[in-house]
Amino acid sequence: MQSVSEEKIRELLKNVYDPELGVNIVDLGLIYDIEIKDGHVEITMTMTTPGCPMHNAIVGGVEHTLGAEEAIQSVHVEVVWNPPWTPDKMSEEAREQLGYF
Amino acid sequence: MFRLPFSFIFTGIAGFIVFHLLSLGTMAGWIGDVPRGPDGWFRVHLLVLGWATMTAMGAVYQLISVVLQGKIYSERLGFAHYAFFLIGLLGLLAGFRYGQVAWIAGFASMAFLGILLFVWNLLATLIRASQWNPITVSVLCSLVYLTATGLFGMAMGLNFAFGGLSAWHERLFGAHIWFGTIGWFGLLIIGFSFKLLPMFYLAHGYPTRLQHVVLWLWNAGAVVGAAAFLCGGSLLWKGAGFLLITLASIVYNVHILQIRKTRHKKTPGAGVRWATISTGWLALLGITACILCLADPQIVFHEKTILLLAWGYLWGWVAFTILGYMSKIAPFLWWTYKYGPRVGQKKVPSMADLMNERWANASLAVIMASLLILMAGIGFDQMSVIRLGGTALSLFSLAYTALIIRVFTR
Repeated sequence: MQSVSEEKIRELLKNVYDPELGVNIVDLGLIYDIEIKDGHVEITMTMTTPGCPMHNAIVGGVEHTLGAEEAIQSVHVEVVWNPPWTPDKMSEEAREQLGYF
Repeated sequence: MFRLPFSFIFTGIAGFIVFHLLSLGTMAGWIGDVPRGPDGWFRVHLLVLGWATMTAMGAVYQLISVVLQGKIYSERLGFAHYAFFLIGLLGLLAGFRYGQVAWIAGFASMAFLGILLFVWNLLATLIRASQWNPITVSVLCSLVYLTATGLFGMAMGLNFAFGGLSAWHERLFGAHIWFGTIGWFGLLIIGFSFKLLPMFYLAHGYPTRLQHVVLWLWNAGAVVGAAAFLCGGSLLWKGAGFLLITLASIVYNVHILQIRKTRHKKTPGAGVRWATISTGWLALLGITACILCLADPQIVFHEKTILLLAWGYLWGWVAFTILGYMSKIAPFLWWTYKYGPRVGQKKVPSMADLMNERWANASLAVIMASLLILMAGIGFDQMSVIRLGGTALSLFSLAYTALIIRVFTR
């Protein structure tokens, strides 16, 4: 069976966007941790605000995107609020896209 | 959850369209007529209940989960609320249209029953979530004022049919309007804005102390103003109500500046930007009313001034905020329903792709310009200017509504 790297998973997750902000969830700094064990992937992530209306869509997007990868057998997404998301977690690309420095 | 908020918002949009078509039918001439008559009541209730309240209730069902991170207490109760409120409203409107006092009394009671179901559902949701902060307290207070508004409205309807409260009618009328416009709409908008504005601006680390100040001042203004009407109070007490609401709106604007100062997104979108502009307008309106009140209290409580303040407040702030937020609410509702489940499976549009920002911005700008023309017409007693402003207001509002409806076809 093929194995999948953390780097590859981050690349794949760059295809999942926050539909309100129009920025992908990796550059937004929403992904806190990625654990890979025998093809089983555990994602620990957050949202920009508690009660984010896009919560289900984004989590579903992560599951669908990674679930479609052959080397991944299962995906589990855990959304945490601690530590809370802060804007300094965003990449330069995300800041640029949001048009504010 | 899609069907429940969609039912309310769709019905609200329909009410808005009917209101403007009927207004265009008179070339907006009804605005220059005496407002307190069956035709005026019909039109005002169509706009305030058929559009603004209907849409606000739908938005509450949609957004309460964002505020509380939990579901509504009962979706089924929500549909019962929709049925009672809609049937009650249609009968009430027909009662006003055809001058049938028995219909007004009966259907006002039915609409009030719908309001009670809404309040029950929301109270149960808030109590279950048990998260008390300026956002939830503001929503809770708005529900209390909505109940009082409905109760006084129903009492007036029953008085039309059976009498017995004639001595109280004027007092109830004043408190009904004050609680409905200031209490219900005011605190609902403020409460949800405390949550939504930071989200749309992607603001973080802003202070929240002023939220408490706004809440106290606004509530004090709502209670003092309504009490002044109910007790047949002096102009001084009514003026105190105006002053408190003005102070609250100034502090509210300062808080919005605090949010904007900590934003990480350059623009929140045209609709939200116009909603914040309208909040500045609210403070300006209040300050003007207070200056007038100090100069000559009789002027402020003159029928024409009240009419101007009502248009300025209800259209300039309440309606503008609803229209502005609709540019987010409609795409969010449709996107989560149609595209939410497809994320990661197919290429999906962003929410911004569902609404034409440039057209939304232009429509809202000309709606504001039309309102100013209309208010100038009322102020200077110029019927032709009223017609011009009112007709433009309806035409551009319909154009903006077309942009909103288009979202649901994308």
